[in-house]
Order: sequence, then structure tokens, then C-alpha cells
Amino acid sequence: MKKVIEVSNLTKEYKSVRAVNDISFDVYEGEIVGLLGPNGSGKSTTINSILSLLSFSKGSIKIFGEEMSPNLYEVKRNIGVVFQDVAVFDELSVLENIDYFCGLYIKDKSVRKEYVEDAINLVGLLDFKKFYPKQLSGGLLRRLNIACGIAHKPKLIFLDEPTVAVDPQSRNNILDGILKLRSEGATIIYTTHYMEEVEILCDRIIIMDKGSIIASGTSDELKELANIEEKVSVHISELSDEVIEKIKSLKNVEEVNYNGDVLVVIYKKGEDNLVKLMDFLSKNKIRYDKIFSERPTLNDVFLELTGKELRD
Amino acid sequence: MFIHNFKYSLKTLFKDKILIFWTFMFPIILGTLFSLAFSNIEDSEKLKVIDIAVVDNGNVVFKNVFDSLSDEDSDDRLFNVRYVSEEEAIKLLESEKITGYVLAQVKPKVVVSNNGINETVLKYVVDEIIEYQSIVSNFLASSMHEIRLEDIQMSEFVLDIYSEVSKKMNEEVNIHDISSENLSYTMIEFYTLIAMTCLYGGIFAVVSINNTLANMSFKGARVSVSPTSKKIVILSRLLASYVIQLLGLVILFLFTIFVLDVDYGNDLSLVVLTSLVGSLAGLSLGVFVSSIFKSSENTKTSILIAFTMAGCFLSGMMGITMKYVVDSKAPILNKINPAAMITDAFYSLYYFTTRDRFWFNIISLVIFSVILIVVSIFSLRRQRYDSI
Ligand SMILES: Nc1ncnc2c1ncn2[C@@H]1O[C@H](COP(=O)(O)OP(=O)(O)O)[C@@H](O)[C@H]1O
Ligand SMILES: [Mg+2]
Repeated sequence: MKKVIEVSNLTKEYKSVRAVNDISFDVYEGEIVGLLGPNGSGKSTTINSILSLLSFSKGSIKIFGEEMSPNLYEVKRNIGVVFQDVAVFDELSVLENIDYFCGLYIKDKSVRKEYVEDAINLVGLLDFKKFYPKQLSGGLLRRLNIACGIAHKPKLIFLDEPTVAVDPQSRNNILDGILKLRSEGATIIYTTHYMEEVEILCDRIIIMDKGSIIASGTSDELKELANIEEKVSVHISELSDEVIEKIKSLKNVEEVNYNGDVLVVIYKKGEDNLVKLMDFLSKNKIRYDKIFSERPTLNDVFLELTGKELRD
Repeated sequence: MFIHNFKYSLKTLFKDKILIFWTFMFPIILGTLFSLAFSNIEDSEKLKVIDIAVVDNGNVVFKNVFDSLSDEDSDDRLFNVRYVSEEEAIKLLESEKITGYVLAQVKPKVVVSNNGINETVLKYVVDEIIEYQSIVSNFLASSMHEIRLEDIQMSEFVLDIYSEVSKKMNEEVNIHDISSENLSYTMIEFYTLIAMTCLYGGIFAVVSINNTLANMSFKGARVSVSPTSKKIVILSRLLASYVIQLLGLVILFLFTIFVLDVDYGNDLSLVVLTSLVGSLAGLSLGVFVSSIFKSSENTKTSILIAFTMAGCFLSGMMGITMKYVVDSKAPILNKINPAAMITDAFYSLYYFTTRDRFWFNIISLVIFSVILIVVSIFSLRRQRYDSI
């Protein structure tokens, strides 16, 4: 597969902080790669360095095989960027905003008109064409922000936390749009601190923390790292310490947590863990509301690797 | 690409209500307030005759002018003049019998003890006479082959010619007749108003540059990651800023000329030139503030507005007295104050027939602009930033 981006040994320091610490990774054509990490882990800094907006102390960036630089217009022509903050003109309508930013890439007016229409359809703003940004809800505004970044049909797209503070409907619309862009052939780099999104969206996930890459791979590969097999949660309103001790001694049980409301039993391995726990509870005449079993999440992976939660 | 940016720039700037308020509405509101306030002042000041003394040290022109200005039969009577010795004049001033006195010598001098409208009028008149004298002397020099004014005054014979010529000049050269009717010291306030509008126009440049630099805004970052050269975006946006700035100025000119009766003199092309150069200074100021300071658009706009207001105040927006204080006590301020340069350019266009002072102001404005632009270019040229 063709490499679209090659990042080698990238290190970026702000005055006192080392925001990105010697990271290397490649992105292949047609992939959606997720950069996952908590706030401040260096995702935006990485993206802005790749885009030649930031100067960096060490490392090299190649895009489409060429050493990236601010004057590489032919490469830039094929890149679309959606920044973390909404960047649109309040004085321009939805349609005008998209047309303006698209016009920085596409000279031909009739082509541009068609592209702008496509972008509006992609993000579902057809009914809001004549609206001004101030009249749009947070979610719709984010969609406009995305449309402005991708209307010129770039081959490589950077999306920096495009779903922050967005309602579920807009979020779904945005995620669908991104999948559609990929199906049309775009390669996508997507940063977020929402693990659910990268699981749905990304072919490959790079987990960052404190400026370093701490793990990367597919969702399944990463979950291998979690070192746990199953997590069973039970809603119980009352539980004595004695019973908790008994549960701890059950087969395969790794860890037991009870917060007075929910009992979480973590298993390292084994089968039928859920059934066995249900048996145990009914034998001991313990009443419970709800019980369910989960596979480990990327949060568990993060917890295992860093000792802290992904969500702050 | 240039046209695309230019067009959208016009659109966004025009629709920015705050910008349009400061550059289009505010000057008109202020101008209206001025004219309301000054119409009262002028009416009450008009009839007052100012008591002064002249120490006659042989400057004929001075005597002539003051004589005619203190003619008791004239409606335009401005002064009540006494011709006295210097010692007497000092005494009169100390006892506040006179506003000030004039040493009418080769290099005339005005002595006053306060700063007020009367003192300002006196100084103004003397300035005017000096200006007038230099015209006469130039005229003589060209017609009588390099005879200096001092030499002329030496001989009685030439003195006669001199006063003859003076009379002739009075008819031929359209020097402003100094009368209480024409001596509108509020004119200067309106000139500062134009200066203010020129400089406020810099707000458009502030916004344009802010939206173009990646380290200032995400809109700027969008420009930076696009394949359009930053130079083109900056130039097209600044051109749009300049066009809107000038439009605001045209509206203000029309308003002040037709509604407020402000007089800008007879040389329209130089008035236009002053506006163009003045607006350029505003534009440069905007570019400078926007590219050098790393802060929000609002902060930058406030910096520009504060600078402009302070500049206009020092150039006489709240009264011509301030202008005289600065001119005499701290002339260095005028060298860095574009509002003073613009105001003074209009002032010299209206009051003086020679153009030296005018061109000095225009050149100062150009230098001011060039320096700011050059400094800004270092910052504008950056492509990668340490932090954004
Ligand atoms: N302009 C800046 N100046 C100084 N430090 C910064 C700047 N931008 C980000 N940082 C620091 O760099 C680190 C990485 O930030 P960032 O790349 O924005 O993380 P993320 O996008 O993952 O939230 C953080 O510790 C942050 O505080
Ligand atoms: Mg970020």
C-alpha cells in the first residue's frame, strides 16, 4: 500500500513543554487513522506540525512522498484540514463560507459550485444554505466547519476533534460523512479523545499520552494489551463485605469493585464467567436489577498502559 | 484568486457592524456633536475683541496687519492694539490687561501667559503674518534677484517698495483675510475628525491581517494550509480594506462639506491626496498592530482606537490649544503622531498659501507608513510558527 504520510522522530517543544516527543508513524492510502489521547496529549501539535504550521525541533514529515514545506502548493492542494476550533466568517452565509474556503483551492467557478453543493449535502446543511453562522446550533456549526475544510475534495483529510461538544444527531451525521469521504477515496487522520468514535470509525488507532505514542494498532490488537478478558457489571443496592470477599475468591476473578450501587467484576480469562456469577448471586439470594458483560474498551487499554483514565 | 479574495473581503468587512460603526457612523456622530457645540462657542466668541500689545521693532507688515485688524470701524475687528515698549508690555501682561504681546521684529515673537482661545487666536494670527511675510519675501526675491528680506528692511527706500508690494500682494495672492469671520478655529476639530477616520480605517486592516495569519486565528490557519499564496491573500484583503476606508472617508467629507459647512480650501486634488496618504497611514497602523501583537482581534482593535483617540486629542480634537501646546512644547510628538500629520496637512492647505508645510506632512505620513509596513513584513513573512 502507498504511504501517504510518513512521520519520523517528530519532536516539538513549546517554550517549556515538550508537547510531542519523538514520534514516528505512517499513514497509508485509504485508511482512517485515529489519533486518540486525552486533552493535552499532543494531538493537535502533531497535526499542525505535519501541516507545516508549526516549526519543530526534530524529525521529518513526508506527505505524498515529498518533504512537507509551507510552499509545497501542489501537495497542499490535495489536503483538507478541519481545525479543532470553528473557523468561519460570521458575516458570510453557510453557502458563501464554503464557497470562499473552497475558492482558495478551486479556481474554476462552475466546478466550485458543484463541489460546494456536494459539501453541503455531505454535512446535511441543505436547509441552512442561506443561514449565517450565528443562527446555527453548535452541531450545525461544526458541520459547516467541516464542510469548509473538505469541499475541495482533498485526497488527504485532517480532522482535529471535529465532534467536540456536538449533539448526538450531528455527531452521527459527521461520522457518516467521514465514512463517505473515505469511500470516495480519501485518506483520513482523525483526532479525538472519544474512544467510541475511533472504534466505530478507524482502521487503525494511535494512542498518545504526554506527547508520546504509547500504542498503536487495530481496535482488536489494542484490546489484547488490556490484559483483561471480560468485565461484568451488576446493579446491586446492598452488598456485605463478606459477600464481596467470596466473589473475589471465585474462579478467574481478577478484581472486584463495589461502589454501593454497581458491582464490577473483572476477569482475566475464562468462559461462562457471567453465568457463573449469576449462579453465585442467586444461590446467595442476592437480588439485583441489571447485569451485563463487556469486552474491554480502549479506556481499559489506556488504563492498563498509563494507570489513568482516558476521560478526564 | 486575487479577485475571489478581494470580493469576499469586501463582503465580510462591510457586514461587520462594529467596524462599520467605528469608521462610518462614529465620525459622523462626533462631527455633528462638534458642530452643535461649536456653533455656540463661535457665536459668543465672535464679538469679543482681544486686548493685545505690539512692541514695534520695525516690522512694517506687522503694523499694517494689526492696524487693519483693530480698525474700530470694521465689523471684523479682532484686536484692540496698543503700541508700547517691551517693559510696558510685560507690565500689561502681568496685570492681565492684555492677552499677550507681539515683538514685531525680523523674527517676530508672541508672548502670552496663559493658554486659551484668545492666546491661540493671537498666535495663529502671528503665524499667519509670518507665513504671509515669507510669501512677500519670496515674491520680492524672485522679482528683485535674491535680495533678502533683512536687507530690504534696512533702507527706507526699499521699505516703501515693500509696503507697495505688500498691498499688491494682498490683492493678488489669495491669502486668507484674517478676520473674526474667517478665523474659524473650529476648523481644526473637523480636520482631526478626518484624521481620526483615516486612522480608524486601520481597523479593517487589523481584521484582515488577523484572519490571514495562522498564529492569530484558525481562519488564518485555513489560509496557511491552502495552496493560495499568503501574499496574494494579504494584498487582496488589504486592498479591500483600503477601498472601504476611502469610502467611509468620502461619506464623511460629503457630510462635513454639505451638512456642516466645513471648508477644506480650494485645492481638491491635494485634499484627495491627503486622504489617500492619511488612510494609508491608518492601514499601515492596522497592519502593524495586527501582525506584531499576539492578542485577540478585540484587543487589537482597542489598541488602534485608543492610539487614534490619543493622537487626535494631541492634534487638537478637543480644542486648538492642545495643538499649540504640543507644537511648541513637545514637537517630537508630532513626529510619531499620524493624526497630527494629517490634521496639520489639512490645516496648512486651508490656512497657508505656500505648500512647504503641507508636503512636509505628506512626506512624514509616507515615512510613517513605510516604517510600519517594513517592520510588519518581517512578521507577515513567517510561514511556520513556534506556537499557534
Ligand atoms: N501554543 C502553546 N504554547 C505552549 N504550550 C502549548 C501550546 N499549545 C499546546 N501547548 C501544550 O502542549 C501540549 C499538547 O497540546 P495539544 O497538542 O493541544 O494537545 P491535544 O490536541 O492532544 O489536546 C499540552 O501540554 C499543551 O498545554
Ligand atoms: Mg487538540
